[in-house]
Amino acid sequence: MATVAIPAAKWNWVPPYRMVRAADSLDADSQLVERCLTGQDAAWEDLVKLHTRRVYSICYRFTNSDAEAQDLTQDVFMRVFKNLKSFRSGEGLFVVWLTRLTRNLLIDHYRRTRMDRATESIEDQVKVLEETATPLSRTDRMLAGREASEILQGALQKLSPELRETVILRDIEEMEYREIAQVLNVPEGTVKSRLNRGRAELARILRRHKVQI
Amino acid sequence: MTCAELEILLCDYMDGALRVEERAALEAHLAGCTSCSELAKDVAGVTAFIEKVAPAEPPAELLTRILHELPTAQAAVKRSWWRSLFGGWVHSILQPRYVMGMAMTVLSFSMIAKFAHIEPRQLRPSDLDPVKIWASIDDRTHRAWDRAVKYYENMRLVIEIQSRVKEWNDQEQAQNSATRSGRQADSGKQKAESSGQKPEAGTQKTR
Repeated sequence: MATVAIPAAKWNWVPPYRMVRAADSLDADSQLVERCLTGQDAAWEDLVKLHTRRVYSICYRFTNSDAEAQDLTQDVFMRVFKNLKSFRSGEGLFVVWLTRLTRNLLIDHYRRTRMDRATESIEDQVKVLEETATPLSRTDRMLAGREASEILQGALQKLSPELRETVILRDIEEMEYREIAQVLNVPEGTVKSRLNRGRAELARILRRHKVQI
Repeated sequence: MTCAELEILLCDYMDGALRVEERAALEAHLAGCTSCSELAKDVAGVTAFIEKVAPAEPPAELLTRILHELPTAQAAVKRSWWRSLFGGWVHSILQPRYVMGMAMTVLSFSMIAKFAHIEPRQLRPSDLDPVKIWASIDDRTHRAWDRAVKYYENMRLVIEIQSRVKEWNDQEQAQNSATRSGRQADSGKQKAESSGQKPEAGTQKTR
C-alpha cells in the first residue's frame, strides 16, 4: 500500500498577517496606554514622564521658543488625554502616533503665527544667529553642547517647515525613516530627499555665519 | 550611478546601511563628481555637528503643569463618554436649577393630590384596564373640579366680592330704571307742549 507523505508545513499553523503585525507592535507604550484607558492614574503619570522630553524637544527645536514649546507640549498632552482612545496599538507605534499629533499641532501653530513672524525684522533674526556664532567660530572643538544647540536653533529657523521637521525628527529625535514617513504622511523616498536638502541647506547657513562644520 | 541615484542612497550611506557593492559604486561616483562630493561632505558635517548638540531638556515645572491638568482632562474624557452614551440632554437635566424645579413640581403635585384626597395605594392588575383607567380619571377629574368649585364658592373673599358685585348690579339696574321713567315723563311733557296747549292756561281755565 502506497503511503502519501503529508508536508510538515501543512500542519504548522501560521497566524494571519495582521495578528503577527499587532503582536510585534505591542510595545511597552501600548501596554502603558492600555493601563491608561482602564483609568489608572499612575499609568497616566508614567506616560507623561516618559514622553515629555521628546515632545518638548520637537516643539522647542521647531519654534525656537521655550515658552511656546512649553505651551505646545501641554496642549499635546491635553489632546493625548482626550484622544487616547483613537490610538490603536495594532496600527502602529505609540511614539509615531504621539509625534504625528505633535507635528500637526506645530503646523497649526506655525500657520496661526505666520503673520506675527512676518512682522519681525529679518535683520533681527540674522543678528541673533551672528551673535551666537561669532564667538564660537574660532574652532569647532570649543563648541560646547549648549552653544551648539543655540547655533543650531538659529539655523533651523531659516529652513522651510518641511525641511525643518524632517531634520528634527531624524537627526535630533533619531526616528526611523519609516516612522517619519508615517508621521509626515509622505513616502520614505520623500523623507530622504527632504533630509538631504535640509542638511545641505543647514550646512550652507552655518558656513555663511562662519561656523565650521 | 547617476547623481539622482546617489541622492536616494545618500541617507543610507551616512547610516552605514548600504550593501558592499552599492557602497563601492557610490564612493566611485563621489570620487568623480564634485557637486555630489560637496553634498556628501555637507551632509556628513551637519550630521556630526548635530550630534554635538545638547538635548533640549524641558523645565521641571512643565511636568508638574501637565500633571496638574490631568484631572481636568480625565474629567473631560469621562464626561464625553457619558455624553456619547446618554446624549447632551442628561447633562442639562442634572443642573441644580433644573433639579430644584423638578423637586418643587413634585412637591406641588403631591400637595394637590393630598388636597384632592387622592390617596396612594397598591397597584393591582385590574387597575391597568384602559377603560377603568379612563373612567377613574374622568370620575376623579369631575370630583376634583366639583370640589374646587365648591371650595372656591365657599371662600369668604369670593362671597364678599360676589355680594358686592350683586349690589352694584342692583344699584345700576335701579338707576337705569329711574332714568328710564324720568325720560318717559319728560317726553310726555314735550308732547303736550308741542300740541299748543299751555299748561298754565289750562290750569287757569280749569280754575
